[in-house]
Amino acid sequence: MPGMNSGINANDPTVTAAFRAALAHQGLLALAIVVLIALLWAASKAWLPARAQASAGRGAGPAWSAEPDGRRLLRIGFGLLWVFDGILQAQPAMAAGLPSQVIQPTAASSPGWVQHLVNWGGTTWSYHPIQAGAAAVWIQVGIGVWLLVAPAGLWSRAAGLVSAGWGLVVWAFGESFGGIFAPGLSWLFGAPGAVLFYCLAGVLVALPLTAWNSPRLGRGVLAVMGTFFLGMAVLQAWPGRGFWQGTSAHQPGSLAAMTQSMAQTNQPSAIVGWINAFTAFDEAHGFAVNLFVVIALAAIGLAMVTAWRRVLFPAVAATVVLCLATWVLVQDFGFFGGLGTDPNSMIPIVLVIAGGYLALTRVPVAAAEPAPDPARNADAEPAAAAPEPAAASEQAAPAPSGRWRARLRPAALYQSFATATVSSVASVSALGVVILGAAPMAAAQANTGASTILAQSLSGSVAPMDYPAKDFRLTDQNGRTVTPATLRGKVVLLTFLDPVCTSDCPLIAQEFRAAGQLLGPSASRVELVAIAANPVFYQRVYTEAFTRQEGLSQVPNWRFLTGSSATLRQVWADYGIDSEVEPGGSMVGHTEVAYVIDPSGNVREEFEDDPGPGTSATQASYAAMLAGAARQYLGAS
Amino acid sequence: MKRLGLLGAVILAVTALAACSTQQTRVTAAPPPAPPPSLALSLDSAAGTWATVQMGGSAADYNNFWQLFVRPAGASGADSWRLVTPPGMADNGGLLLAGTGGRSLVTGFRPSQLITFSPLTSTSDDGAHWATGAAAAGLSDVPDALAVAAGSGDLIALVPGAVELSRSGGSQWTALARTRSVANSAPGRACGLSALTAVAFSPAGIPMVAGACTKVGAAGIFALDAGQWQAAGPALPASLAGQPVTVLRLTTSGGRQLALLSAGAGSAATVVAAWTAIGSGRWQLSPGLRTGGKQVLSASFGPGGAAGLVLSGGHGEVLPGPGSTWRGLPALPSGSQVLAVGAGGQVEALASRGSILTVWATGAASSGWVSEQAINVPIQYGSST
Repeated sequence: MPGMNSGINANDPTVTAAFRAALAHQGLLALAIVVLIALLWAASKAWLPARAQASAGRGAGPAWSAEPDGRRLLRIGFGLLWVFDGILQAQPAMAAGLPSQVIQPTAASSPGWVQHLVNWGGTTWSYHPIQAGAAAVWIQVGIGVWLLVAPAGLWSRAAGLVSAGWGLVVWAFGESFGGIFAPGLSWLFGAPGAVLFYCLAGVLVALPLTAWNSPRLGRGVLAVMGTFFLGMAVLQAWPGRGFWQGTSAHQPGSLAAMTQSMAQTNQPSAIVGWINAFTAFDEAHGFAVNLFVVIALAAIGLAMVTAWRRVLFPAVAATVVLCLATWVLVQDFGFFGGLGTDPNSMIPIVLVIAGGYLALTRVPVAAAEPAPDPARNADAEPAAAAPEPAAASEQAAPAPSGRWRARLRPAALYQSFATATVSSVASVSALGVVILGAAPMAAAQANTGASTILAQSLSGSVAPMDYPAKDFRLTDQNGRTVTPATLRGKVVLLTFLDPVCTSDCPLIAQEFRAAGQLLGPSASRVELVAIAANPVFYQRVYTEAFTRQEGLSQVPNWRFLTGSSATLRQVWADYGIDSEVEPGGSMVGHTEVAYVIDPSGNVREEFEDDPGPGTSATQASYAAMLAGAARQYLGAS
Repeated sequence: MKRLGLLGAVILAVTALAACSTQQTRVTAAPPPAPPPSLALSLDSAAGTWATVQMGGSAADYNNFWQLFVRPAGASGADSWRLVTPPGMADNGGLLLAGTGGRSLVTGFRPSQLITFSPLTSTSDDGAHWATGAAAAGLSDVPDALAVAAGSGDLIALVPGAVELSRSGGSQWTALARTRSVANSAPGRACGLSALTAVAFSPAGIPMVAGACTKVGAAGIFALDAGQWQAAGPALPASLAGQPVTVLRLTTSGGRQLALLSAGAGSAATVVAAWTAIGSGRWQLSPGLRTGGKQVLSASFGPGGAAGLVLSGGHGEVLPGPGSTWRGLPALPSGSQVLAVGAGGQVEALASRGSILTVWATGAASSGWVSEQAINVPIQYGSST
């Protein structure tokens, strides 16, 4: 898939160090946000007049105890999952490795339109790996904490909505829609994508509490999950997909092949032993294993669709056991080895089913959702089944639009904040953490260029310097004579290219061209200069042909310089360029270096410009680095 | 009136039926043209024999580089072949040879990886020194995509969709023709030209092109005479007249035009060598060689119009020259890419394995191959990544 892969090693030390630094920096900021909000809240509370505090105290009900059991399970369960996923996202290799090691393999077997869409997301990530990696960490940790600390009210429902929304993003771009459009779909392997259950749970948490006051919600959830299980049973039973065979033609069947590959990942040896034992069992009894899975899925599905009380609890218990066994023996806990991003689908499925079961069997007699005066508590919502404690004040209140205006007055806002519950303040803090992650990523996206981190990882440290550029007298591709004096007054981005190079030099030329485009109108004050670096093919016919090949003929500030063999050798010596003719039909080997020369004609920076893997991400990164350097010295002139 | 209307309706219906029947003339798909041989070939000149071979043995194409070898006339024994690959550029896209008959040779680098044009180099001392300063548009992937005129040094190049000509030694090129314009010329239409497969200069320096015909009974060889393309190929014998013909090779050597034609397709395919007589444009054809479905992997011409073919399946065939018949060779040594046919009936097979080139020889009456020389070529794996 073009574009998605940054081409950089996932464990590239420059990228991982930058990622760690970004996380540490943003972690401190997150802490500062939490502490600041807490201090402001405490101070506001202390300064609020006693009468107002007493008024605020009225109606503050026992929010935690009023929450239905099913909702609480989903909220806390998925809150913990999001936090755990966020921690997994903080793995050092995630910044550079997620597109190539997670997204790309997942999308590989999906149809073209899915790959196209996912490629767009992966490319976006590759262009800004640090911002994207850190954003994923803080957004997921923030959503998780938000779910954990907000048991009821608007803040809690908003957390559910955000969880569902972000889940959809992850499901589409991170899981390629859970592989539902790809062949080989199986419940055992995580279909239809773990995060889809996060979305479902988020939607359930976002529902008003009144929805939980009836068994209909639980019945609906179980019916959906039961239908899903029945569908998965049919899919699992479908012939020709390799699940009925433990082995086929001396090759492991679909399930054994999967568990075999899972056992290869880096993980505790005890777990490898369990998985290997299960693989051997499946290879020997593939038909029986699949028959058991099909029957189990079908039976569970039927029990849930019918919601027959007498079999429901055993069905839920069986689901939990089956899911946990699958989680350990087939999905290998989901996050071991490689770059695991979540614990896969079994735990979310268990949570959703258990939540649905509790919603069906433990309907609150009368939901005691606190409904304090909305003028003071923005997080409150009226609970339909509960008596309205502030009914009197509501009756006296103005019309809804007037109420909102009243709420937004500074004094009202201050009072709302000062009298907010701990849960509300913690929710605001969690939202701050989400924004902390999302804002830099959004800002990076607004910038059409790429992050320079990939170029930095390839080039090593840029050496700052300040010495006059060595003189030369060469001819450009159009036959015009060029010397450092003719370039004076402009920033010069100078490199050395082999005009008949088959790999790196065309990439470097494109990086220079892209840098010129990034500079916009400033490009007229920058010269993009290359000097021929091939001791055999250096004549102008080749610099001309190269210029045409790279579409640089119409770029007014592009100059590909050459001269006589002796002149070029002197220039190479002056600029530290080695150029060596290799035997056996090989390409000439030459130093790949770029210089930044300021308008006064002084060399100010030098860096290697070996384009590395030459992906669109590394090219864009180099272009951004070159353009940034040019801007720096344009500004200094 | 009613009868007239009925009659009119019947006439209309019959006319419509006739029109539909005309439209439904059975269309049979023309067999695909024979695939061109690879760029691996040997080239005879008065001063010796050139040969180009792909070496490296890597699964990654960019790690396989083409090597040029020369055996000066009169050289023999363990050091007869020398490595003379032109330096300074990765030739992993292929190396095309255009000889003038003497010690001079022009080589063209085929595009590969990110390069799309074809730098040219030339030597006039058996590859001891190479001169640069010329380039062509990206040359096509056929063995005769580049030719040089012996007297003038003019160059003709086959590039995708067009033929280009340089009268300045390769520094400037003009479009000579587009494939479409040759196909639309009278002889092009007569042969149903579908693709160009070779360019050459006649011994008199006239630009020539050759290609694949979709119509039977014509060999698609054309010469540019007074600005018009004229049919210049041989008349086909009755045994080949019913099959479409593709020109696999077209070149000039020793004052005559040499061509290799493939007629028919699949197991019925027949290969025929053709020569013009020295000093005239009259063609002479060899007996047909039934390939039995084997593909021509390499086709080379030797002294006196001798031809050597490497066929798929390790099979080799030689033709000593005009008036002779094809002779099957002992099973070719593993890795054989090129045959070089000598004047005395000796045949050499150039075989590569990784970075080692082995030259195998067999005599006219021999039943086996003898290793004659081994050359270790310093392949720079990974140099083009």
